[in-house]
Amino acid sequence: MQVSVKLFGGLREYLPAGSAFNACVLNLPEGSMLTDVLSHLPIPENKTYIVLLNDVKLDREAHADTIVSASDEIVLLPPIKGG
Amino acid sequence: MSWHKQILRVNLTEGRCQIEPLNMEWANDYLGQRGLGSKYLLEEMDPAADALSPENKVIFATGPVTGTLASTSGRYSVITKGALTDAIACSNSGGKFGAELKFAGYDLLIIEGESEKPVYLHIEDDKVELCDASEVWGKTVWETEDFLGKKYADPLMRFASIGQAGENLCRYACVVNDRHRAAGRSGVGTVMGAKKIKAIAVRGTKGVKSPDPAGYFKLASEVNARMTERDEMSRDGTLAMIDVTNNFGALPTRNNRSVRFEGAEKLNPEAMHTPNANGHTNIITNGACFGCTIGCGRICHVDPTHFSIKDKPQYHGASGGLEYETAYALGAACGVDDIDAATYVGFLCNEYGMDPISLGGSIAAAMELFDIGAITEQDTNGVKLEFGSAEALCAMGEMTARNEGIGADIAMGSKRLCEKYGHPDLSMSVKGQEFAAYDGRGMQGMGLAYATSNRGACHLRASPYEHDFETTDIEGKAQVVYDSQNEVAFIDSTGLCLFPSECGWSIKDYLELVNGSCESDWSEDDVQTVGERIWNLERLFNIKAGLGKKDDTLPKRILEEPADVGTAKGLVCKLGDMLPEYYQLRGWNEEGEPTSDTISRLGL
Repeated sequence: MQVSVKLFGGLREYLPAGSAFNACVLNLPEGSMLTDVLSHLPIPENKTYIVLLNDVKLDREAHADTIVSASDEIVLLPPIKGG
Repeated sequence: MSWHKQILRVNLTEGRCQIEPLNMEWANDYLGQRGLGSKYLLEEMDPAADALSPENKVIFATGPVTGTLASTSGRYSVITKGALTDAIACSNSGGKFGAELKFAGYDLLIIEGESEKPVYLHIEDDKVELCDASEVWGKTVWETEDFLGKKYADPLMRFASIGQAGENLCRYACVVNDRHRAAGRSGVGTVMGAKKIKAIAVRGTKGVKSPDPAGYFKLASEVNARMTERDEMSRDGTLAMIDVTNNFGALPTRNNRSVRFEGAEKLNPEAMHTPNANGHTNIITNGACFGCTIGCGRICHVDPTHFSIKDKPQYHGASGGLEYETAYALGAACGVDDIDAATYVGFLCNEYGMDPISLGGSIAAAMELFDIGAITEQDTNGVKLEFGSAEALCAMGEMTARNEGIGADIAMGSKRLCEKYGHPDLSMSVKGQEFAAYDGRGMQGMGLAYATSNRGACHLRASPYEHDFETTDIEGKAQVVYDSQNEVAFIDSTGLCLFPSECGWSIKDYLELVNGSCESDWSEDDVQTVGERIWNLERLFNIKAGLGKKDDTLPKRILEEPADVGTAKGLVCKLGDMLPEYYQLRGWNEEGEPTSDTISRLGL
């Protein structure tokens, strides 16, 4: 299945080559977990970010237990403190 | 020690300027800038006095670190009773003016009374004079800077001015320095206009003294090197926030009818950096204030073929562009996704001296009043004041800047505007000041921070961001708001910017710079104590001005209408559940008044 992910702010530098400016499409087997999606993006371990799945914020602990589907909207946001 | 230990006092009624010693006991209790300026204001005026009366004072306050070698040390504040809010106002600005005031030998400048005729203040070190401003009264900020710059022919002279908005007593007029940096909020420029003081021109050659210049240079270099996370802020400025709040569901849209704007990606950093169909790119470069190593400022230009400026070559050049707050207020709040229109109206704000947050919030309220039929085309001189109309946004920006037609109503601020047209609930404000770019439903801590802010709704009086993006659960939010309000009050009193705290600095880094500048030994506990003292002092001013628990609230929409999308879909702001805990943490009674124990503990 194809899963699309949107990345914003400084996280965009971790998009695979050839991606649109803030989004990429990943080819993954059916039944993949959110952790599988994230492992396809070269985001350093120590980098913190917010994950939204269909407008719901998911805690890091929930990533390994969450199955994704092709229709899901996955958004990664940098943690910015004010402006 | 970096204090000059001097105040410049200017009495406009008597036309007198005099130098006085700084009260160092107060400087030890309240630090500088916001804290010290607020202390002087409370001691010297009756908070119940009309903000536009001669009894009000305007205090330009630097901090102990202002003008030193520390990064971001260009900050100063303007403290007064706010014309928009009738509460204590403290508006913070960068640029180079604050450091220059310090170099002239003054920690504080206190302006009092009211001039019979328009004047400006000319300062060159000890030479201080009030001058006839008739040649610049009625002129824009930019024209005023050009006139004074040519007159004194000193490229290092710095200016802080009001535009026609301040002269016309627009309730959210600001003081603009260095062409596009501003003490923007709460109507501090309106008070200048009421006093008929158009501008301050300052040149200083005294510098800032340190007993150990080499040691301070080493310290400032070391602390600066710890600002390791500034690349994103340099590249995207504060505008990067728009994608976060929009996706999270906390970007106030169409006067807070929604918390997500479908046009946000036309206003975000990529939109600013990407050429449009004409090959025009909005941003030219970034800009930095005095001594800053971040450079969050945007230097932008409007597409010269855009309808707003195609016949106005004076706007074809570059100036201060959109930041997150202006992109929200002149974009999402009005439902407008036209980056050129928003940039143009931002230019008008700098030129005429208006707070873009309150202008955008007031136009958004007017658009909703138009939408429900409370304002008609008869009121707007034929302008279809519809959400999403870039033409209407530009027309309202121009009419408000010139105080023309419906613009004179928009210049009153959304609270007075909505009261006039019979729908007071449609003003998205606290204590009369329009919301910043965060919705209190998606960000519950920010809702509490808005409601309790001493200067009215404000995103810079607390720092609940991290906690709010972590959870919408209100547990722990009162503590986060309380702690961060105190910490921010301390930082606002140093002469340093808040943004290094987003780029790698901790409060310890600020402390090292303050201690190095003041030859003091402040601790992290002192940060909380001084911050708490400042917060309570501001609260006492407001209580004496007639404000209280009734004003620690949010508009009905935020308290009763659930968020439509995003992580907080279905939620209202649970202010009522957070406020009692907040009052308790503050050491206030159920009416929100500091108890005698609190007053005594803080030495108030």
